[in-house]
Amino acid sequence: MSDPMNDIRASFFIECEELLEGLFDALQTMSDGSADDETINVAFRAVHSIKGGAGAFALDQVVSFAHHFETAMDDVRSGKLAPSDDLVQLFFRCGDILSDLVRAARDETTVDAALVDPVLEELGKYSTSPDSGEAEEEISDFQPLTLDLGDLGAPADGADDDFDALLASLPPLPSDDEPQEPVARTVVFRPEPELYKSGNEPLFLLRSLGELRPSAVRLDFDPDSAPGARMTWTVEFDDPVKCEMVEEVFEFVQGLCTLSFGSDASPRESVPAEEAAGTFAPADLPMDKIPEPASPTSDVAPPLATIDPAATDEDGPAEATTAMPGGAPKGGAAPKNMASPTVRVDLSRVDRLVNLVGELVINQAMLSQSVAQSSLGSNTAITSGLEEFLQLTRDIQESVMMIRAQPVKSLFQRMSRIVREASAAVGKKVVLTTDGENTEIDKTVIERLADPLTHMIRNAVDHGLEKTEDRQAAGKPAEGQVRLSASHKSGRVVIEVSDDGGGINRPKVRQIAIDKGLIPEDAALTDGEIDQLLFMPGFSTATTVSNLSGRGVGMDVVKNAITALGGRISITSHAGKGTTFSISLPLTLAVLDGMVVSVAGEALVMPLNAIVETLTLDGESVRRLGPNSNVVLVRESFVPLLDLGVELGYRAPKENYAGAIALLSGQEDGHRAALVVDSIEDQRQVVIKGIQDSYGRVPGVAAATILGDGQIALILDPSDLIQNSSGQSRAPANIEAV
Amino acid sequence: MALREQLRLMVVDDMSTSRGLITQALDSIGIRNVATASDGAAALQAVLKSPVHLVISDYNMPGMDGLHLLHYLRNTPQTAKVGFLLITGRADPAIIDKGRKLGMNNFLKKPFETADMKAAIEAIVGRL
Repeated sequence: MSDPMNDIRASFFIECEELLEGLFDALQTMSDGSADDETINVAFRAVHSIKGGAGAFALDQVVSFAHHFETAMDDVRSGKLAPSDDLVQLFFRCGDILSDLVRAARDETTVDAALVDPVLEELGKYSTSPDSGEAEEEISDFQPLTLDLGDLGAPADGADDDFDALLASLPPLPSDDEPQEPVARTVVFRPEPELYKSGNEPLFLLRSLGELRPSAVRLDFDPDSAPGARMTWTVEFDDPVKCEMVEEVFEFVQGLCTLSFGSDASPRESVPAEEAAGTFAPADLPMDKIPEPASPTSDVAPPLATIDPAATDEDGPAEATTAMPGGAPKGGAAPKNMASPTVRVDLSRVDRLVNLVGELVINQAMLSQSVAQSSLGSNTAITSGLEEFLQLTRDIQESVMMIRAQPVKSLFQRMSRIVREASAAVGKKVVLTTDGENTEIDKTVIERLADPLTHMIRNAVDHGLEKTEDRQAAGKPAEGQVRLSASHKSGRVVIEVSDDGGGINRPKVRQIAIDKGLIPEDAALTDGEIDQLLFMPGFSTATTVSNLSGRGVGMDVVKNAITALGGRISITSHAGKGTTFSISLPLTLAVLDGMVVSVAGEALVMPLNAIVETLTLDGESVRRLGPNSNVVLVRESFVPLLDLGVELGYRAPKENYAGAIALLSGQEDGHRAALVVDSIEDQRQVVIKGIQDSYGRVPGVAAATILGDGQIALILDPSDLIQNSSGQSRAPANIEAV
Repeated sequence: MALREQLRLMVVDDMSTSRGLITQALDSIGIRNVATASDGAAALQAVLKSPVHLVISDYNMPGMDGLHLLHYLRNTPQTAKVGFLLITGRADPAIIDKGRKLGMNNFLKKPFETADMKAAIEAIVGRL
């Protein structure tokens, strides 16, 4: 059995990730300026909880840092510190350091103090107390209360809704330390004519206000005002009432009346409402709609509340709403408001399930095939049952894939850190906006996207955006925008990284490619083709190797990483307006839409997304370039012809490719090739079975699958095939048709 | 039967790590009748259905904090007399003072050793 402490420790680090996510969410809300008290509470609690847990595992570095962080945040919470932009930015950096410390602790390493100390020092500048920390006040005078252990008593029976009622009936926590919320002792309510016109009744509003137990109500009448705006009610409270709760009463007449709050009892002499009512002249509204004049005594509330029998019926629930917020902060204690319950499952168990479902899909395909081959009619119970089985299998497969799916939010949060760091390093002001954070992708894909995306974001900040001066000169806002978005598009996930920079400098890119010998000097390239040069190995536009990008890791690495995920990457760029990199990914790595083809008697699967079109070659279009290399003319341009049978070593090159079937495969880099096959068998979803563990990397082969008849088929990797083709049946490069 | 075997406890903490740590400490003390809840409302509901001798609750929780839970427990007739041990990351005198006023039996500062937990419980219920 595993050590329980180790399990708890492991779960602590998982929990930390969740807390950090919550922390960054809250900080983002603060930096957007839309934070309320609960936001800072959430942020504080996250840091506090991390500190608490870290203390239990003696992770001193985490505890000490979290302590300082927490102290500063507590000062913001209690109003001692104003959450200025600078401070929130510092909190972001603290969050980054805390994440580093937590991850270092998890991996049993440490974080270089040189990274931590400057942030701590800056945090110290905000410290409000001389010694922020070490010595907490000792509580020496607390005497534990002993308890007589009597009978436990009978369990309370009753349904869960009784519990809600009980919870609601409980008195609010004595509030001795919650002065933050705005409160008022006088509320002045002045309806506008529109209020009456829209069918609203001051009576009902005042009646609801009565539930907040006011002590006096006064009605002022001003005959000089516009008709319909002559009456003003002033409601007074002995105990301060929360403005928020009053506003709630008037929620539906917002904009139809003036509502103002006073913090102390009205300076004007409180005129008994009765008298006030007596003073006004016939008004422009029916008198019977005026509420019963309330007496100015302190027990005014009951009559107000009992005017309408219906109102008394609502007393219970009404009290519930007043009682709960008394002590409970927003978010409430009611269990109904909780996020949907989750369960943590070991990833290996999910993977096993995914595998089993894969087997199920294969099994179902085999069954379908044998039924099709048997002489059963199409209307038998077996075939119709099989149809349902097929549908069920698909549903199960989708559901299982969803278990592995995760929102890209955590990934995007990591990117906001990259933007912060990258923009600081190059001295540019950059704002990252994200979109579609809740888009879900397979967990493995998310993990493997982190590196390429990091690189792309750095590139956008470093190369994509112009220097601040250049931006201003171009009449753009000094602050650069980097946008990161995720969305689902026709069964794939599209992630876009865009900037509002100067766009790709195509003449410069072209020149660099020529200088580096990547293209001939007189190459005629379209804009799109020039953009594609960025993905060529060894290409870098940075004239100086900056600290950020340009560390030898180019966009070609990004592209390879995306391709390895079954994805595609493309660029669109507009001079002066910016560049967008668009990554399109399959929803899952476990199944693939493929075309089953046959080559020299072998069944092979070609990923459908790599196939642009299928061709039947005629003698005219195939041109021989060398002894064993051919090109084929496809719509005005020549494309290298690759014989899959030759490439995979199944057979010798054919003499003549006229009449052969070819799959035109297009790569994101613009490389295309026509892959010759013997026949196309089927188009279907296949379950990907990795072969790397058993066979290592096989050139041109991505994985394997099991077909419906139990046959094993290799899944091809077209980009690898095209890049590493033997050249036997291949032309050296794309050649423009003349 | 030893006291520790009779004791029925409720552990309330929003962090599963902390719940794990507390139950682990209780387990090594020999207290095994332990229920857990991740928020105050759930804890209150659970102890109404299945009464306990002692509630061990974290202070800092979203929604209903530990002292809020204590207040509700004290104001619910069936749970008014239950023992209450507050676990807090910061032994803030204001929190302790408020707890005292609300009828908190004892408090324990995080991080704690198993022995601290044992002592804190024994101060309430007597020798385990």
